[in-house]
Amino acid sequence: MENSAQKLDAQILSRISTLKMNAMNLVEGLLTGQHRSRHKGSSVEFAEYKDYSPGDEIRHIDWKVAGKTDKYHVKQFEQSTNLKCTVLLDASGSMGYQPPLNEHPPKMECARNLVAALSYLLLKQFDAVGLTLFNEQVIEHIPPRSKASHFQHILHGLANISPQGTTRITDVLGGLSERLPRRSMLILVSDFFVQNQDLRKSLKLLCSRGLEVVLFHVLHPDEIHLPFEGDMIFESLEEDPAIGLDPQDVRDEYQNAIQHHINSLKKDCHGLGVDYVFLDTSEPLDQALSYYLLKRKSLIKL
Amino acid sequence: MNLNFSSPLFLFGLLGVSIPVLIHLLTRRQQKQIRFSAVYLLAQSQKRSIRKSRPNRLLLLLARCLAIALFSLALANPLFSFRTTEGFLSTSPASIVFILDDSYSMGTRSKEKTLFDHALKHISEGLQHTPDNSEFSMVLASSPARIEQDWTSDKPAFANKLKAQAISFRTTHIGDTIAKAIKLLESAKQKKKKILLLTDLDKNGWKEETFSRVATPYPVQVLDFSPLQSDNNKGMVQSIQISQEFLTRSRLLRVKAEVKNFSSTVNRMSLSLFLEGKLVKEELLDIPPGQTLVQKFSYPLTRNQPLNGKAQISDDALPIDNSRYFPFHPSQNIQVLVVDGDPETISHQSESFYLERALNPFSVSLSHIDPTVSTLAELTLRNLSDFAVVILANVRELPPNYELELEKFVLNGGALLFGMGDQVDAKYFNEHLGNILPVKLEAQHRFKEDALHLLLKNNTHPVMRVFSPKALEEMRGINFYSMYTVQAREDKKFKVGTWFSNQHPAVIESETGKGIVVMFLSSLDRDWNDFPIQPTYLPWIQRWTQYAARGLENISQQNLLVGEPFRKNTTDNKWIIRAPDGTLHSLESEVFSDTFQPGIYRLFSIPPDDTVEHKALTKLPQGAEPIGTFTVNIDTQESEPGKISQKEIKNLLKGMELEFLDPKTQTTQSKTTDGIPLATPFLLMVAGMLLIEGWMVRKE
Repeated sequence: MENSAQKLDAQILSRISTLKMNAMNLVEGLLTGQHRSRHKGSSVEFAEYKDYSPGDEIRHIDWKVAGKTDKYHVKQFEQSTNLKCTVLLDASGSMGYQPPLNEHPPKMECARNLVAALSYLLLKQFDAVGLTLFNEQVIEHIPPRSKASHFQHILHGLANISPQGTTRITDVLGGLSERLPRRSMLILVSDFFVQNQDLRKSLKLLCSRGLEVVLFHVLHPDEIHLPFEGDMIFESLEEDPAIGLDPQDVRDEYQNAIQHHINSLKKDCHGLGVDYVFLDTSEPLDQALSYYLLKRKSLIKL
Repeated sequence: MNLNFSSPLFLFGLLGVSIPVLIHLLTRRQQKQIRFSAVYLLAQSQKRSIRKSRPNRLLLLLARCLAIALFSLALANPLFSFRTTEGFLSTSPASIVFILDDSYSMGTRSKEKTLFDHALKHISEGLQHTPDNSEFSMVLASSPARIEQDWTSDKPAFANKLKAQAISFRTTHIGDTIAKAIKLLESAKQKKKKILLLTDLDKNGWKEETFSRVATPYPVQVLDFSPLQSDNNKGMVQSIQISQEFLTRSRLLRVKAEVKNFSSTVNRMSLSLFLEGKLVKEELLDIPPGQTLVQKFSYPLTRNQPLNGKAQISDDALPIDNSRYFPFHPSQNIQVLVVDGDPETISHQSESFYLERALNPFSVSLSHIDPTVSTLAELTLRNLSDFAVVILANVRELPPNYELELEKFVLNGGALLFGMGDQVDAKYFNEHLGNILPVKLEAQHRFKEDALHLLLKNNTHPVMRVFSPKALEEMRGINFYSMYTVQAREDKKFKVGTWFSNQHPAVIESETGKGIVVMFLSSLDRDWNDFPIQPTYLPWIQRWTQYAARGLENISQQNLLVGEPFRKNTTDNKWIIRAPDGTLHSLESEVFSDTFQPGIYRLFSIPPDDTVEHKALTKLPQGAEPIGTFTVNIDTQESEPGKISQKEIKNLLKGMELEFLDPKTQTTQSKTTDGIPLATPFLLMVAGMLLIEGWMVRKE
């Protein structure tokens, strides 16, 4: 037991260091400027003038301008360091899919790298990052912190994930929505293989609470293309009953179904103003990440 | 309900079903297991997907298997009938009459065995599977039909009885056999009754006239064993004729053998002549199909002794009919002295004219009677010991003291025949021939208007046996205008062979010493009757001559068929017969019926005072002398290869519930006339299966 625990620790430590290295490589290569927050607040950096309106703090009135123009203007400053981001990572069984051919990295590995990279990125610009792992419920919660050393906690949490259980994303989001700080950021990383769950409703709820939600939809190419051949028995990684079939028979239907699943999720996100990023594990993660960051940059109103 | 196949060999095609199954198994992909994330999406996709290749493959396999199976069944020409059939192995107790065809055609070879052996084995094996309280009986179908075993439930005893059965040399007689079987079934205990006929369906045994109308219909199961025969009966020796030819200093035996080819091709077979067990001649014959070829053999005879022989052809599937036996007696002509008491210058007015022509009608002796005509004057010059028979026709008086010669002749075994006439002196006859004649001559009676006739009420006399009813009718119509009446002598015994219509004897016979005296009480020429110009005169006078001669010739001329009785023509001596298998039979009555083996039967006479117990003869008693032989041959009708058809059997056994079984499979043979043919529907189903298969392949 002791040996296995030590072995586990060693594996976890190894995984942590790998994650750290991956994340740092990714982020260092990507960052050409700072990540800017969309939230404005009191800061040293002037942002713009605004006409005074009752309720505004009097101390923010620029008296010099008032003397010149006889009008009251209030100074506004850009808020760039007070972002709280919670990364919500799906640790259900479906995320633990191990491709039989080992052609592309598994989903969970990809998700870990992604979360680690995002965390590193956020911490590097002094934002607070937290990590919540869930399946049918919250498994582990690491509250957001902005200290650089917090990265180690995140990495440890990521390294300890062993995917199991079913995905109850709506229940988890429903529970978390109350606890998450308002106007914070929520990054949701999952394969979104959920049945009979109204994800849109949950997302809407989050959005209504002023949360900035980003969805990373991680799928393995096997799950998109169903490339298998021959009679097969598909055993579920969650709770679905096993099914025996020839993939050739259902390939077209399956591909249609998965595309429909992706498109509907994308559509829902678009409708709610939620960022949706599709991650195919066959594609390099930096590309996906840079694409997303560029996309965000273009959306930021400077 | 019953499904039969007229070409069951095609059922082997059903094995072809294994081909698509094998292909399916060999090409079947192994199922792999995989742990997958979006199984619920797969399940949804499967529900929506039209393509289901795995069930399709199974359906394809099913369609292909069905197509092959149905095609094989269609080729086997299935016939469906609603009639239920039950094999020989009845599961419920039953009374079964086994009709076992033991005729010699059942001796046809089937590999190492004969058809008869197969039939016995079939019954023996079937017996073991019958319920304990079933009862069995057995009727043998060879002629004459006979009940070999009455009802018994004792299976071991019945099995032993079966083992003891051997093939006979007789012909088949199914008609009487069926009648006997029905009679047996009438006394059967079990409710379920049936007849099981084990035969080779030889047509000879199914003569229509031998079948009587069936009163009670019983189920009859016919097992035809003829398909089991390994080869065909190629030929037989149909008949043998023997004659001899005299050369200057020797004589030749001529044997004329008729050999028939049963095969459908020209058959080369060897014909061998055996004399006294030794092969003396052999010829190769090329006989056209279905034809009979006559082959003549000549064999020089060096000794004047009787010979027995056989003609034999080369071996075939039925060996029994390949041999035919014959007896030969070189000195078989009966020497007859015809004494004409009233020779006329016009030849046809003499007795000798008619007698000579009747006894020996052709230049070459075919009657085996050699007559010598003599006048009374020449009589003293003749040596009577050279003759077997002396006929005194219309003799008035014998030369002086010649009656003593005649008496001596008769006492030593000679035969004396008297014919009356206008020259006959009754007084002389009564006074001088008293020691010879059993009767006194009374007077001559004439019937000018109301002519006499022969009565011929019963023809049991050996002489009269050969005459057909028609010939007897003709003889009854002969007019006799004059005859002698006689008076019995007190000290003499005699028999009346034939009577006149006026209740007076026409022919009288008496045994004197070793000889015989026969008196015909009318004339032997046309003076007193029309008899000499009638066709029956010739055989009549020949038969009386042969009968009176009582020579070995009479016996040896009996060339019998199997089962025909041998008739003894004298009762004075005790005879012993040695059958071909070596068994000895004492012949005490006039008829010997145990002639069921083909071959040569040897006759021995034993002294009258012999006290040997004849019933259990193991060896010939002392003093037994060979007196002749007769041969028994098979009836060749049974050899004819013709088989009776099922349709003909149905006609003959109208009213019976007939079922034809195949002894190989114990199943009902397919009958082209029974049941609904299913070949066409099966072929349509094959076409349907192929269409479905094509559609499924195209869809995939």
